[in-house]
Amino acid sequence: MLGLRKFISVLLLAVFFIPQSANAASSEEHRSTPITARLITAQDGIPGDTRSLSAGLHLRLNEKWKTYWRSPGEVGIPPSVDWSGSENVKDIEFLWPAPTRFTAFGIENFGYTGDVVFPLRVSLEDSRGPATLRAQVKLLVCSDICVPEEFALDLTLERGTGIDQGAANLISTYADRVPDDADAGGVRVAEAFIDDDLEELLVSIRVDAPLQAPDVFPELGAGIALGKPDIRLGEQNRLLWARLPILSADPGALEAPRITVTDGADRSFTVLADRATQELPPPFLRAATKPDVLEMVWIAAIALLGGLVLNVMPCVLPVLSIKLSSLVRHSDIPRSCVRTGFLASAAGAMVFMWGLALVLWGLQRLGMSVGWGLQFQNPLFISIMIVVLLIFSANLFGTFEISLPSSLQTRLAGAGGREGYSADFFTGMFGAVMATPCSAPFLGTAVAFALAGRGIDILVVFTALGLGLSAPYLAVAAFPGIITFMPRPGRWMLAVKLGMGVLLLTTALWLFWVLAGVAGMRAVWAVAVFSGAGILVVSIPDLRLQYKWPLAAASFVLALAVGPNAQQPAAPQDAKKAALSWVPFDRGEIARRVSAGEVVFVDVTADWCLTCKANKALVIERETVRGALEAEGVTAMQADWTRPDERIARYLESYGRYGIPFNAVYGPAAPNGIVLSELLTSTDVMDALARAGTAALAHGNAGQD
Amino acid sequence: MNRRYLLFGFGAAAIGGSLPLVRWFRHRFTPLPEFEMLADPKGFRKIAGGEFSLSGNVFSGIGEDRKAAHELPLDAVRRNICGSLFGSSSGNTDVVPIASFSDFYCPFCRVQTKRLGELERELNGEVQVTWHELPLLGDASLLAARAALAADRQNAYVQFQERLLSSPFRANDAYLAALSEAIGVNHDRLISDMNSPEVTQQIRESAALAKTFGFVGTPAMVVGRTVIQGEVSDAVLRKLVDLERTENWIDAC
Repeated sequence: MLGLRKFISVLLLAVFFIPQSANAASSEEHRSTPITARLITAQDGIPGDTRSLSAGLHLRLNEKWKTYWRSPGEVGIPPSVDWSGSENVKDIEFLWPAPTRFTAFGIENFGYTGDVVFPLRVSLEDSRGPATLRAQVKLLVCSDICVPEEFALDLTLERGTGIDQGAANLISTYADRVPDDADAGGVRVAEAFIDDDLEELLVSIRVDAPLQAPDVFPELGAGIALGKPDIRLGEQNRLLWARLPILSADPGALEAPRITVTDGADRSFTVLADRATQELPPPFLRAATKPDVLEMVWIAAIALLGGLVLNVMPCVLPVLSIKLSSLVRHSDIPRSCVRTGFLASAAGAMVFMWGLALVLWGLQRLGMSVGWGLQFQNPLFISIMIVVLLIFSANLFGTFEISLPSSLQTRLAGAGGREGYSADFFTGMFGAVMATPCSAPFLGTAVAFALAGRGIDILVVFTALGLGLSAPYLAVAAFPGIITFMPRPGRWMLAVKLGMGVLLLTTALWLFWVLAGVAGMRAVWAVAVFSGAGILVVSIPDLRLQYKWPLAAASFVLALAVGPNAQQPAAPQDAKKAALSWVPFDRGEIARRVSAGEVVFVDVTADWCLTCKANKALVIERETVRGALEAEGVTAMQADWTRPDERIARYLESYGRYGIPFNAVYGPAAPNGIVLSELLTSTDVMDALARAGTAALAHGNAGQD
Repeated sequence: MNRRYLLFGFGAAAIGGSLPLVRWFRHRFTPLPEFEMLADPKGFRKIAGGEFSLSGNVFSGIGEDRKAAHELPLDAVRRNICGSLFGSSSGNTDVVPIASFSDFYCPFCRVQTKRLGELERELNGEVQVTWHELPLLGDASLLAARAALAADRQNAYVQFQERLLSSPFRANDAYLAALSEAIGVNHDRLISDMNSPEVTQQIRESAALAKTFGFVGTPAMVVGRTVIQGEVSDAVLRKLVDLERTENWIDAC
């Protein structure tokens, strides 16, 4: 059994490693029971013209084994590498991908499982000579036993060109997981508060793009361990607040708080927080930590009020008004029936709210972090709401007098008082369903409180919400007499209907806007066209019934099926900060633009190129340079060499270059290009842009020339 | 009214009485693991098919001086293997000795220390734990090991470890003073024991034992003549203690 498992894992390892170990971009492996380790480089050889190499320390941890981040948590020790035996190596920058949290035996640890690559930014002494990376690695791997591993890895690169795609992909994948800095991470404000007794750390970070399920890893200095964080989100998930107990205090070791935040596998950033002088208030209070009855009553009151207000929101008002007007129309119904009918509606609303509470509680139990408003990130949910809203507004506008009003309409908005009260029950429930899209702005506080709290908090808040929402029904049930005060039906009802229709349409338009943000314009068009077609079909009066409904149903189903799936693969990551508008690389285009008097900045880059990433983050995307590249008459041209590309290779070759990063500036004053150094500085770039430009661009230099 | 109280009382008694019963059942039906005799040192055995095979991996700690490893008192340890493992207590065959090896940086070691501390207290007089430190991970590890062994000399090893459960060890005087006060040991004596040649020798002997048994990491323990690396459940551990007593563990010595 064990033998077989071992055999299979060896086989898998062999399959995984052999293709790469066949060429020079990987070192011999170190293998032990817990790990397999090797050094990799993106480049197969030293191209002879670049001082920088993109390399990585690749660890493959076998099942159950972990190793640690640079701050390991309560115990544990981070990997350390001694490079002193290396040859022709000036410096190696060791990058740490964002960690994950393990809680085992009640101890908090941060680190890695499975595969991890620590990207290495290597700079060489001599760009022409061969180089040897010689790593003496010390690391601790733990499962239920901890094993110190100490081993050497050697990787010699001769002169040569070529890219090892496998290694390059691994390096670029993990380079992307290295936390961004505050700028690239979209951090606006980061504050940390530590009390005088060094008992707890409060963190408050505001970011541009909403967070989903963040985790926080603060570092306060060597040997200061922190306990499990209490994380809360606020301000539409753009505010992250966390409280962490300080387990071991050493005032002497205290440094500026460095906070790393991760949100899923793809988003992470590290920011140096400013020390706040006052306690940072949480976005909401959590009942679990302070079960205060008064606070509970207050929150319940807010939820009740919120539920009540929901009745006049554009999503719910039409449902309520249909219900009430049906009552006015049938004023001959006995009071007892009215009473029971409205009670049934109230029950419908309550059942939906309790069902929702149960689902949310279940999700919370399962350890999923649920937040209100999260449903607005789900294109399917938004599309369904849009279709429903459109159908109803069309109905209110009278485009179709639902030709089976006695069945569908009464089922949805029940006339009450017939056999059974299921229609009334579903009216109430339907009202509650319709209320969900409108609830976010009103109920954020109460619902966030509930979701962060215990089961009882969820129950209380949602019960109060349901009671508020069904208050009008309950009022009629209690005093059926009030319907006599309702105005008699007449022409005014048409106006009300029209008004309601406008409200619903407005809500639908708002949801379209939300959908555009979540899934892109293509989804918006798909949902709009198909649901519009559906409404058109039902609105044609002469169409025979047996075609009408199947056709309409088909278009609505299409709207729901196509719309959400037309989601554009636009990475939200890139959207968080408008990227520089790069023109794709085209060598002929350079000359054309230069002859037209433009300045062209060419950046040859690749996902695996660590120095390119550094250049981008520190110089190209930073102000002054960024501004200059966006200026009139300047073109930023990018050649992406992540995948092999003959055109780019030939272009580099024409400059005698085989490696990247490569940056050059062309202009009327420098048609053959000014080649920049590998490690960009903003002065160099600005200077080159000025020298390459015409007098118009380089006023300052004009006189000297 | 009275009857209800009676029912309550009966119910409570039944619940209370069933606890030892459940424990007995668990003890009775916990299967013993299979054993495998060690080729070296003779007379000892290990639990078969664990995470690791103790294939005589060369023991070397991170940060440990390579030369010092050669000068470990290997021969002395081999000549008196039970004395080195279990201390001077190993005369009474009714008491099952347990040697525990741990390191400050190892998360699961703390769990093992706590479990063994509880076991020793519960099976009052039936087992005796000897604490060994295997500082595998550099200077902080070594200093914490010295402090732990010094605390052990004032019978406060478990308290010391529990105190350290969630806080990194810091080798400054203020920290040690606060620690001494918290666990109720004499600070001056702790400091002088930490720096004593006896503690140094004790750590070297533990290292020699680890090398002799081929431990690959921490925690590790030797219960009578059975070597365990990695996690073992409390139930199995108790069963093993019984077995070692009936099978006369002292034969291995």
